[in-house]
Amino acid sequence: MQHFVIVGILVIVTTVLTYLGLDVAGLAKQQHPIAASAQSASIDQLWHWEMIVISFLFALIVVPMVYSLIVFRQKKGEMQDGEHMEGNTTLEITWTVVPLFIVVIFAYLGGWSLGEVNRVDPQALVINVKGQQFTWTFEYPEYGIISNELHLPVNRQVVLKMTSTDVIHSFWVPEFRLKKDVVPGRVNDYRITPTLVGEYKVRCAELCGTSHAYMENPVIVESQAEYDAWIAEQSALVEEALKTPEGQGRLLTVSNGCTGCHSLDGTPLTGPTWLGIFGRQEQMSDGTTIVVDEAYITESILNPNAKIVAGFPSPSVMPAFSFTDEQLANIIAYLKTLK
Amino acid sequence: MSHTQTKSAALMQGVIIAVYLAALTVLEYFVAVAFDAVPLLIIVAVIKGFLVLYYFMHIYKLNEADTDPNHDSYAYKTVTNRLGLWLFLLSDAFVFAGLLVMRANLLGLSRPHLNQTLGLVVTVVLLVSSFFMNRGETQMAHGDVKGFMRNTLITFLLGLGFLLGVVVVEWRGIPAIAEPILHFFGEPAGIEPLTAATGNPLTGPVGGVFFMMTGMHAFHVFTGLVFLAVVWNNARKGVYTAEKHWGVEAAAVYWHFVDLVWIFFYPALYLIGKVIE
Amino acid sequence: MKKFFTSALFKGLVWQVIGFFIGAGLVTGIRALMGLSVTDTFFFTEPAWVLGAFFGALAFLVGCGVTDDWIKWARGIDTPDHHEEHWHGWEKYINVSLDHKVIGIQYTLISLALIAIGGTFAMIFRTELAASELQFLTTDLQLFGQNGPQLYNTLMSLHGMVMIISILLGVSGIINYAVPLLIGAADMSFPRLNAFSYWIAVPAAVTLISSLFLGGFDTGWTGYPPLSARAPVGMQMFFLGVFIAGWSSILGALNVVVTVLRMRAKGMTAMKMPIFVWAGLATSIIAMTATQFIGLAFQLVMFQRLFGMGFFDPAKGGNPILFQHLFWFYSHPAVYVFILPGLGVISELLPVFVRKPLYGYRWIAMSSIGIALVGFVVWAHHMFTSSMNEYLRVPFMYSTLLVSVPTGVKFFSWVATMWKGKISTPTPMLFVLGAIVVFLMGGLSGPPHATVSTDLHLHDTYFVVGHFHDTIFGGFVFPFFAAIYYWFPKATGRRMNEFWGKVHFWLMTPSFFVLTFGMMYVGLMGMRRRIADYDPALGIDTAHLILTIAGFAIFFSVLIFFINFFYSIKHGEKAEGNVWGSRSPEWQVPSPMSLHNYPTPIEVVGEPYDYGLKDAPYIRFAPAAKGKSKH
Repeated sequence: MQHFVIVGILVIVTTVLTYLGLDVAGLAKQQHPIAASAQSASIDQLWHWEMIVISFLFALIVVPMVYSLIVFRQKKGEMQDGEHMEGNTTLEITWTVVPLFIVVIFAYLGGWSLGEVNRVDPQALVINVKGQQFTWTFEYPEYGIISNELHLPVNRQVVLKMTSTDVIHSFWVPEFRLKKDVVPGRVNDYRITPTLVGEYKVRCAELCGTSHAYMENPVIVESQAEYDAWIAEQSALVEEALKTPEGQGRLLTVSNGCTGCHSLDGTPLTGPTWLGIFGRQEQMSDGTTIVVDEAYITESILNPNAKIVAGFPSPSVMPAFSFTDEQLANIIAYLKTLK
Repeated sequence: MSHTQTKSAALMQGVIIAVYLAALTVLEYFVAVAFDAVPLLIIVAVIKGFLVLYYFMHIYKLNEADTDPNHDSYAYKTVTNRLGLWLFLLSDAFVFAGLLVMRANLLGLSRPHLNQTLGLVVTVVLLVSSFFMNRGETQMAHGDVKGFMRNTLITFLLGLGFLLGVVVVEWRGIPAIAEPILHFFGEPAGIEPLTAATGNPLTGPVGGVFFMMTGMHAFHVFTGLVFLAVVWNNARKGVYTAEKHWGVEAAAVYWHFVDLVWIFFYPALYLIGKVIE
Repeated sequence: MKKFFTSALFKGLVWQVIGFFIGAGLVTGIRALMGLSVTDTFFFTEPAWVLGAFFGALAFLVGCGVTDDWIKWARGIDTPDHHEEHWHGWEKYINVSLDHKVIGIQYTLISLALIAIGGTFAMIFRTELAASELQFLTTDLQLFGQNGPQLYNTLMSLHGMVMIISILLGVSGIINYAVPLLIGAADMSFPRLNAFSYWIAVPAAVTLISSLFLGGFDTGWTGYPPLSARAPVGMQMFFLGVFIAGWSSILGALNVVVTVLRMRAKGMTAMKMPIFVWAGLATSIIAMTATQFIGLAFQLVMFQRLFGMGFFDPAKGGNPILFQHLFWFYSHPAVYVFILPGLGVISELLPVFVRKPLYGYRWIAMSSIGIALVGFVVWAHHMFTSSMNEYLRVPFMYSTLLVSVPTGVKFFSWVATMWKGKISTPTPMLFVLGAIVVFLMGGLSGPPHATVSTDLHLHDTYFVVGHFHDTIFGGFVFPFFAAIYYWFPKATGRRMNEFWGKVHFWLMTPSFFVLTFGMMYVGLMGMRRRIADYDPALGIDTAHLILTIAGFAIFFSVLIFFINFFYSIKHGEKAEGNVWGSRSPEWQVPSPMSLHNYPTPIEVVGEPYDYGLKDAPYIRFAPAAKGKSKH
């Protein structure tokens, strides 16, 4: 009897210590990273309850084990037997039924939480999302804006209509706590209500190929005023761009996700950087050297596997694009501006 | 070895079951044509399956009392072998179940546009081959080796007929067969899907489902034929007796299993759902 | 050396190469006749590689001699039932033996080899992950037709699948070795099938690992299309290698089920079997039926690549989510194949080192079957974010949480078994205790995945990686080591070194705690799975450095184990009796076991775990039988 009392006390103490330990690590009540969506509330809440139960169950098993190891130790050199206990049906039924009960409760809570997460606002803002190897493209249908950055107004539900052009990706913003796969041939809905202004990142969460690690785009949650200003600014840029070949070329590169693999600042990503690309000398994978001109760029877009720059994946990861001659000319005009 | 039936009674039972199977197949075909009632088709298939499982495959033998304590005796080992064979068939059944799941997911309540006469003919051929297999096995169980060989030969020829009917006649009759072959040997890009050329919808997943299901089944028919040839040859050499013919029982049960799978694949491919025009 | 070149292993490998060239040559020849290209990046075209690898595996099987008896049967020639062994010493293990003990050890050895290979892959990419930014697996690196990040993906993917295969083979190893001994049988029901199940794993492993050299693949061990439909040729070797290995699993499991049902000693009713046999039975039921689905799923992608059949290609009307359903229908029950034997080892060994009956034997036995059965209806919890049917996620949440009930029964029973025992902690027991705690952590980190909403955050993060390393180490790796330390004397007549065993444990276990807590932590901070590089802004660089160090500590502890293992075979302390004082049948005869196990058959006369009761033996040796003898 005495054993049970001691163990009981130790279990309670260990539960509290375990819980506190988790809390200090930011894994219990206050979680990392900071929660930034309305949907995260029930998720973080459920997680917290789960951590409490987990702390208890951990203690419940480990404490009696460690206690037994110390108190019921075999003396060195001896081979005595322990007490002949085969079982106790009441106890065994109890430790089957009680966990069953707890499990059903958590399943119910899980259902509740999922319901909270899935609440639909019929007035939600619609944004189209395209995932591709290796970038995200966001289209604001009402304004005709296409961007590689997702701007969202705070405290308003947004429904992202997502599809992929190649393989399965997954849309995840850790601070939002939700993720949803992005599947070719389907349009999947992702509903989110951002509640905290800030700069986050959407990180692809389904292995999608070589540069999966780098498929991260900025997500900016801002006040309604800032959001409106951004929309206005982007709309103006689009209008301006449509007037010149270079501008139209730039719009094409945004909507086709080129900058996911081709950086504008000199960093080699999945593909060669575009900074200073036109007229550059490149060493190819077959040892030859070429100069980047109109013909080379056209060929690389229409048939990426024809020539590959040394040090980049071969066969090429770049999909073949089919553009009209005018579109190609515009893109080339734009590339020429990237000095 | 004790027989629960005389030879002629056992043979007659085989005939009766074959008649039932034939009748149910005719019923199945007309139900499909007239009503397109999926549950009814499934029920008919299940009944046919049960008949084969019980009367041809003798599944009840798994339950036979096994009183010989000597683990080394032939009797004990035969019961062990039988259990092993049936577990193998159970695990193989999961493959075919997976194929049916695939068919249901990709095709739903539609079906490929196939040659119905050919489908009915090959189905009947396979069922009749099971009839002769049952005859042959019964004869071997009663010591008639020559009778076994005769009937097994007929089974083999009918099975071969089924195989050729599906793989040679039916597959070739579908223009879309060329596309997969070309794809295997040709360049991955640049082959126009034949849908454009012939308008035949049997490319894409529809074709894939059809070829995969009939192909996997045909592979099992092929291995069944090999198995039959092996036991026929061994019978010729005098290896089997009425008391000891485990190889024959195994070959027969495997053959019936192949037929059993087709009992479900036939409606799944030919009868259930609306045709994709 | 000459002994190696005449061995079945060598012959099989030679024939695998010959078979490969026949298959590849056939396809290439037909292509040449059709006027199509005959070469590609890796010399042969993809169809040639696939058919070649397939023929190679078949040729290995015939060439190594494991199918010889069956070929004789097909020709009507009978073979003797009781086989004599032709090889002695270490040659036994590279030749075809029908003795389940030899086969069990062969499985264990190939499992350990794959653990070493998979572990080495992990150490390579773990080193890269120690700091953000790419250090050596950079885009400049070119190896085996892959640049650094591509190589990372291949190594990471192969780490997964090589380890999984090592687990399947390790599980087969323990079950094969122990089950016939535990039930008092002379061997498995189908000894030739048993040998076949082992030998097929060799060409399977070769095919799987060859993917590294054929451009690798970048899909992770799960091989999801559409990505896997467009990956390099290495992808096909991956699919085919796993497909072939699946046969080992299925046929081996079938053998176990029949053996347990048909070959038990007199008096051994179901509730008097050693508990490990229940675990083996439950495991085998799963492996025998569910494995087909991964075979089918992979076969469909292979055919999509080879024949253009659009099963999973949305452009042709296919459904990528179908792959996930087929794949996970096996791959979830598969994890129970991984852990049920290990949990059975825990249940089997605890009474021995606690000198007390296994508490609630019946319930533990039933819990293994319960886990196996419920495990079939939880698969879609791997797909909560996949855009599968939204409402279907809820029943799967319930069924997934339900699995924790029979699992909990085991934990409570183990604690109750230890309570008021007389506990000693030699190395096998240390690993059993480590297994319990680690598996507990794995089991407790499961429910946050089971509840759908929390899983929407956790899926595909390093938290999952922490969770499954816990469950795998607790359910397989620790028990595997426990089983080896425990049964080593039975197999060799010698003990492994106790001091180095303890070093192995005490180096591995704390490092492992650090590793998994660290993985769960970085996952919650925002680290995704399967990434070669991570955002420095996440602030997890230091954590990753610690993880890498922990990984190396584990690696070295396993190295110590390997040295101890191989050294002790010839130089370990002699231990020919009942080293652990176990009541189990195999320990009532001297070590090593003789060829057909029990020279005098055993009969069950009591309960397996009646420690603490006087005059209550479990078995006795059958009194001299009149007339009939076994051999």
